[in-house]
Amino acid sequence: MNKIIWIVLVLAAMLAQSGSAMRRPLHVVAAYPYIGDLVEKIGKRNVRVWALARGDYNPHVIIPRPSYIAHVRRADLLVINGAQLEIGWMPPLLRQANNPAVQPGERGFLDLSRHIMLIDVPTTVSREQGDIHPDGNPHFYLDPHHIPILAKAIADKLAEIDPADASYYQANYDEFAAQWEAKLKEWDNTMKALEKVRIVEYHKNYDYFLRRYNLALAGTVEPLPGIPPTSKHIEHLETLLKADPARFLLQDVYNPSDASEHLAGKLGMKLVLLPHDIGAVREARDVFSLFDEMVRRLAQ
Amino acid sequence: MTDILFSAFVVSVVLLGIHSFFGLEIIKRGIIFTDLAIGQMAAMGTAISILFLEGEYLDPLSLGFALVGGAVIAFASRRTETHEAFIGLLYAFGLAGVFIILSKSYHGMETFQKLMASDILFTPMSEIVKTAIIYAVLGGVLLLFYNKARGIVKEVLFFTTFAVTVTNSVRVAGVLIVFALLVAPALIALKIRKGIPLINAWIIGTAVNLLAIVVSYNFDFPTGYTLVFLHAFLALTVSISVPMRRLETLSEPHVSRSGGRGRVTSGSESGDSLRGAQTTHLPQTGGKE
Repeated sequence: MNKIIWIVLVLAAMLAQSGSAMRRPLHVVAAYPYIGDLVEKIGKRNVRVWALARGDYNPHVIIPRPSYIAHVRRADLLVINGAQLEIGWMPPLLRQANNPAVQPGERGFLDLSRHIMLIDVPTTVSREQGDIHPDGNPHFYLDPHHIPILAKAIADKLAEIDPADASYYQANYDEFAAQWEAKLKEWDNTMKALEKVRIVEYHKNYDYFLRRYNLALAGTVEPLPGIPPTSKHIEHLETLLKADPARFLLQDVYNPSDASEHLAGKLGMKLVLLPHDIGAVREARDVFSLFDEMVRRLAQ
Repeated sequence: MTDILFSAFVVSVVLLGIHSFFGLEIIKRGIIFTDLAIGQMAAMGTAISILFLEGEYLDPLSLGFALVGGAVIAFASRRTETHEAFIGLLYAFGLAGVFIILSKSYHGMETFQKLMASDILFTPMSEIVKTAIIYAVLGGVLLLFYNKARGIVKEVLFFTTFAVTVTNSVRVAGVLIVFALLVAPALIALKIRKGIPLINAWIIGTAVNLLAIVVSYNFDFPTGYTLVFLHAFLALTVSISVPMRRLETLSEPHVSRSGGRGRVTSGSESGDSLRGAQTTHLPQTGGKE
């Protein structure tokens, strides 16, 4: 008899508990996997997250599927990278999804680039600069010190949409920030050994990371952002690097690597394939392992 | 959700109407690559507008280039027996031209990709209505005058309307879908021994479009590629398994000048053309910052 009373009591308690938590989770659509992971880490059980773009593809391109429109249409919150990284595909997707709640400027819309001071903002718009983003370099999330700022922006936004659980999001943020702080110490320490090391990159993907760790950018394989290498530019880069060699050549996973391989082989640089988002390489499974892997590949 | 798929379905059917007509014609004439060449010439007009005019006069420029492309092909197909080689080279010329032009342009490749990265999932209703009206007018003109026209007038009429159609369709749906809708239903229709080929192409095309949309939704496949895949798959299968209907029975005497040689488009040839189409598509998928 006692047993039955106990079971009933426990069941009742569980029901009462789930009553508050049983409300519909917030549907959050994230433009990129790293954003999706951050939202999951802050929103936890309160959110259901879909990341649209794949981490191993060029972030400028998605091949639209019917579910993308369905997800954006159902979304309570849309979080984008911003700084025009999604310019090629987000506007038509937003238009077709026709969800007034997540349009730019609305409460259900968060543009992460607004929370970071961007670098490479062109002072004049000129034809000679290649495919530069007029808002500045959009790859700001690859500086690990920026991640807590982005996580905080997400926590604040979730609290704004769902004020009843504001303290929950704050607590999750605090927990995340503490874990991140510990990791930052580790990464900062490892990267100290590489200070002032000269680096070439294919595309200006890792500039925020390089700046943070005081690595010297010796040049890019692309003559101008977004413009494929030309023979004249490669020649110029070779002369430059012969006079003042660089140790690493950073290559992303979605641009062709033949020019980089040629350069690295000829000039004795180490070609390092660096992930730019979660899923770009197998080891990068979440934001923590993304930066673990970036640091590991450079330091090993 | 149905409204999204509905609009994709409507686009595919609006395109199918006029494309089946042109598809039957280009297969009979043996100038399958024409749409790719004209589409690429239109892209070159777009690129020039981006580089020199910051995107001003984009539509007239791309249409102008498409018309020039059409005129050159019309001229060449009267002049040479090797017009497919000619058309293929025109395509390569346009593709390479786009890359050379855009390599000197601020924001060029990005803008270009944005303009060319059309997908039937993203076509707004206003664009569909506009396209339907344009094609209704072009279809009316062709219906009234095409069969009466003779000689050079007929050629000019054909290539002008074709250039306008391809330029607009590529903008609305992307080059690969245009190619599939143009060639696949027409190829199957030519195999059917009963009825009018154009009507058959419409019925088959509509059925495949509907199937593709349903499959794409149920399996969450990219809609455009599903459409192209099913059209191509069906046309390839039918091509291999059914003997060809005699082309002479379809053509009027003066058209059979090129069509009547029994110049039959086989399945493997469609495959090659598809690969060609894939290449034009590349700027969208292999994009740069």
